[in-house]
Amino acid sequence: MSSELSDSAVSPPTGAGESTSGPSRRTVIATGAAVGGVMVAGGTFLAGAEEAAATVAAPSSRVSLTVNGTRRTVTVDNRTSLLDLLREHLELTGSKKGCNAGACGACTVLVDGQRVNSCLTLAVRLEGAEVTTIEGLAKGDKLHPLQQAFVDEDAFQCGYCTPGQIMSGVGCIQEGHTNSPEEIREYMSGNVCRCGCYVKIVRAVEQTAARK
Amino acid sequence: MSPQPQAAVGAPLSRVDGRLKVTGQAEYAAEHDLKGVVHAVIVDAAIGRGRITAIDARAAEKHAGVLRVIHHGNAPKLPYRDNAGSNNPQGRRLRVFQDDRVFFHGQPVAVVVAGTLEAAQHGASLVKVRYDADKPSTDITKAEPGEPTPYARGDAEAGLSSSAVRLDLKYELARNHHNPMEPHATVAQWDGNRLTVWDKTQWVMGTHDEIAAVFDLPADAVRVINPFVGGGFGSGLRCWPHTIVAALAARVTRRPVKLVLSRKQMYFGTGFRPAYEYRLRLGSDRRGRLNAAIHDIDHETSSYETFSEAVLGAGQMMYSMPNVRQAYRQVPLDVNTPIWMRGPGFAPASFVIESAMDELATELGIDPIELRRRNEPAEDESTNEQFSTRRLSECYTVGAREFGWDRRNPEPRSTREGNLLIGLGMAAGAYDCGRYPGQARARLDADGTAVVEAATTDMGPGTYTSQTQVAADALGLTMRTVTFRLGDSEYPFTAPHGGSSTMASVGSAVVDACNKVRRQAIKLAVEDRESPLYGVNADDVVVRNGRLYDRNNTARGETYKSLLARHDRSRLEANGSYEGPGSDRSAYFAYSATFAEVSVDADLGLVRVRRMLGVYDAGRIISPKLADSQALGGIVGGIGQALLEHTVTDHRDGRIVNSSLADYLVPVNADVPDLKAIYLDGEDNAGNLLGVKGLGEVVQVGVAAAIGNAVFNATGRRIRQLPITAEALL
Repeated sequence: MSSELSDSAVSPPTGAGESTSGPSRRTVIATGAAVGGVMVAGGTFLAGAEEAAATVAAPSSRVSLTVNGTRRTVTVDNRTSLLDLLREHLELTGSKKGCNAGACGACTVLVDGQRVNSCLTLAVRLEGAEVTTIEGLAKGDKLHPLQQAFVDEDAFQCGYCTPGQIMSGVGCIQEGHTNSPEEIREYMSGNVCRCGCYVKIVRAVEQTAARK
Repeated sequence: MSPQPQAAVGAPLSRVDGRLKVTGQAEYAAEHDLKGVVHAVIVDAAIGRGRITAIDARAAEKHAGVLRVIHHGNAPKLPYRDNAGSNNPQGRRLRVFQDDRVFFHGQPVAVVVAGTLEAAQHGASLVKVRYDADKPSTDITKAEPGEPTPYARGDAEAGLSSSAVRLDLKYELARNHHNPMEPHATVAQWDGNRLTVWDKTQWVMGTHDEIAAVFDLPADAVRVINPFVGGGFGSGLRCWPHTIVAALAARVTRRPVKLVLSRKQMYFGTGFRPAYEYRLRLGSDRRGRLNAAIHDIDHETSSYETFSEAVLGAGQMMYSMPNVRQAYRQVPLDVNTPIWMRGPGFAPASFVIESAMDELATELGIDPIELRRRNEPAEDESTNEQFSTRRLSECYTVGAREFGWDRRNPEPRSTREGNLLIGLGMAAGAYDCGRYPGQARARLDADGTAVVEAATTDMGPGTYTSQTQVAADALGLTMRTVTFRLGDSEYPFTAPHGGSSTMASVGSAVVDACNKVRRQAIKLAVEDRESPLYGVNADDVVVRNGRLYDRNNTARGETYKSLLARHDRSRLEANGSYEGPGSDRSAYFAYSATFAEVSVDADLGLVRVRRMLGVYDAGRIISPKLADSQALGGIVGGIGQALLEHTVTDHRDGRIVNSSLADYLVPVNADVPDLKAIYLDGEDNAGNLLGVKGLGEVVQVGVAAAIGNAVFNATGRRIRQLPITAEALL
């Protein structure tokens, strides 16, 4: 559900097209309970056809930002984080939600060249920003050198923290914090890898930095 | 192994799914995109035990975008059929929204479904729940244990009292949470009475069966899919309540529903490694020969299910001694039910046993490795079974040499670098690797490529890659021409992806299926007058790079492609199976020797790991590059268990106070310096076709004890608790 210039997809929905007529919520619940009994084949549940004749829409804003080189203009619920904008609205699920609290780094992306935790960044604050996610790193079929180094060094297992590690590694290399394995370890410590691939992550960052 | 040449197996290959993972294209459960999907957020119980007296959902229902609030007052009754053969422990499983009872803090009491994630999250915060709260019991040291599971050989009490050297040691091990980086998540979609879920699980078949049981659906009405799992370590070994909540919410709202647990909810919405109270009494003679051990083991379980794990194994088989008694009790508490975590049973037990062995070595003035060698058993003394292979002694030898064990000063607190106390320690480990029946199917297509499928999982060890290696060699194809598929309940049945069982079990089924396909092709060829292989003994035909040839005359042969084309066959296919170890009666364990060097700040008590080495007897290594990663990861997990990980409960209300990755500490990059893993070259053919043992668990077993023993060598302080904190050392 791409939401470029598409308010309906990203704005607080009123239930994505459901009818607002029909029985009231209370009657549905009551009926549902009455016919519920045991759930059996055939599905005896009444769907909530009436739901959310939303009383007050949640505050939303329009924001234009560049994501992986493409200008996107979206209307977002003001509560939406950059991470949720990417994952839930822009179909860019490469950035991962590990903790949603800035403690794991799985959501790391570059905003105007700086690595940030996208889970802690409100999307509405990003007017005019340039965002690079893991999906924007490779040049066509050619992987970014750090992506290739992660594959070659086997610097991941489950892969869930990997996009954040790589984006953080790109930032780490750009910042020049790669003068020793100790320095890399320190500057890559905002990215948790529960599979424990740290030794190889350091190796991949170190080698990529050396080739620059 | 098959008579086929080995090209892929044993080669240090990169992951076949590596590109997907480094480009963000690997699709995890919550990322499955469905048109019209709505979001569900669970409301957690705010008391530790009691009853719900009222739920006021009006404010939530009025919130823009909220579609429905479901709770016990309006949820349909669910059949919750029994589910024999599942990983549900003995007891009565939690039934979501079926009554007003609260069994633990954080139990799901309602779910808010909304058109957006933001609305669902905010809506969940608006649901007002009133309770009649009881005081929960969550402290293992203050609760009544259940009935013991006993084990005995010899007379442990008499053996202990007649021993020249006796130790009586009490250990406290913290509760640990798996904390895989991917939160548990479910996307559920009904189509009439058929349900499909994309679910984070280590066992699609288990989740499939549980959903079918809970909703009383026919088996073929449920499909569970999970091509990628962002870590598990055991947390995905059973179907948790939120998966049922998602399916229920989708049913009620008639929408596809996405439900992702928050990190906080991961601490009570999924299981954990239970906290332990472990008393070990050990008796030996002056030369260090063990005579008796008494293990009194208690760990947490929930009030509604009795969780158990293989905590008795290590105490029975690790070392030779005539007299052993064990009593293993679960302590029911007002908590959610635990689940197996990496190295289940063995990881906690080995911390105790291996720490105690180190204490005994110190007491006797014997080198810790020498002490272990003196107690090396000739057989599994609990079953009198021969070991399939047990090369622990070689692990010691290789490890001592590679780590520089001879540089260790046995005198504690004798090596300093400025204000840092330096210590070396080691520990042994073992794990009882699983071998479970399972199936696979293989299909060779006319274009010379193959597809192999099994309902197994890849939570990170590299199942995709290693099974492709196994299949490629058995079929005689290159890696690039074989596709291995997993993570779909419509594929052939396999057991859970856990217990270090996947390669022996699924791998054996894959080999069987691929061998059958290859033999079909060979039979076609040798019976075909038009084939260059006509008349050749089928046993002399091997296949490599898709070409069948006579091994006695390699010029004589043809490709799968030409063979299938000539026979006008679009494909050859076969089902393979593995029945388990069958008549094999050997004691089948993987072994480890782990070495650690630590520094401890003499003033602050801060422990830093400096370097670690693991040496493993784990049978044949199918995929060395990935196995290396798995071993290093196991060591990192052990560093967490040793020094950082501790789930803390506020016993006043049963709330977990550190339910976040900022407060529940796990190792980060700066905590992990130089790590090295060595696998002994060899194989173990006990009841499997590949010569493998498992490696996922044994690589963590023993790590915490090695670190604890190094801390003792550094400081002279023996910490009999996990984690070993700075406070404990001050």
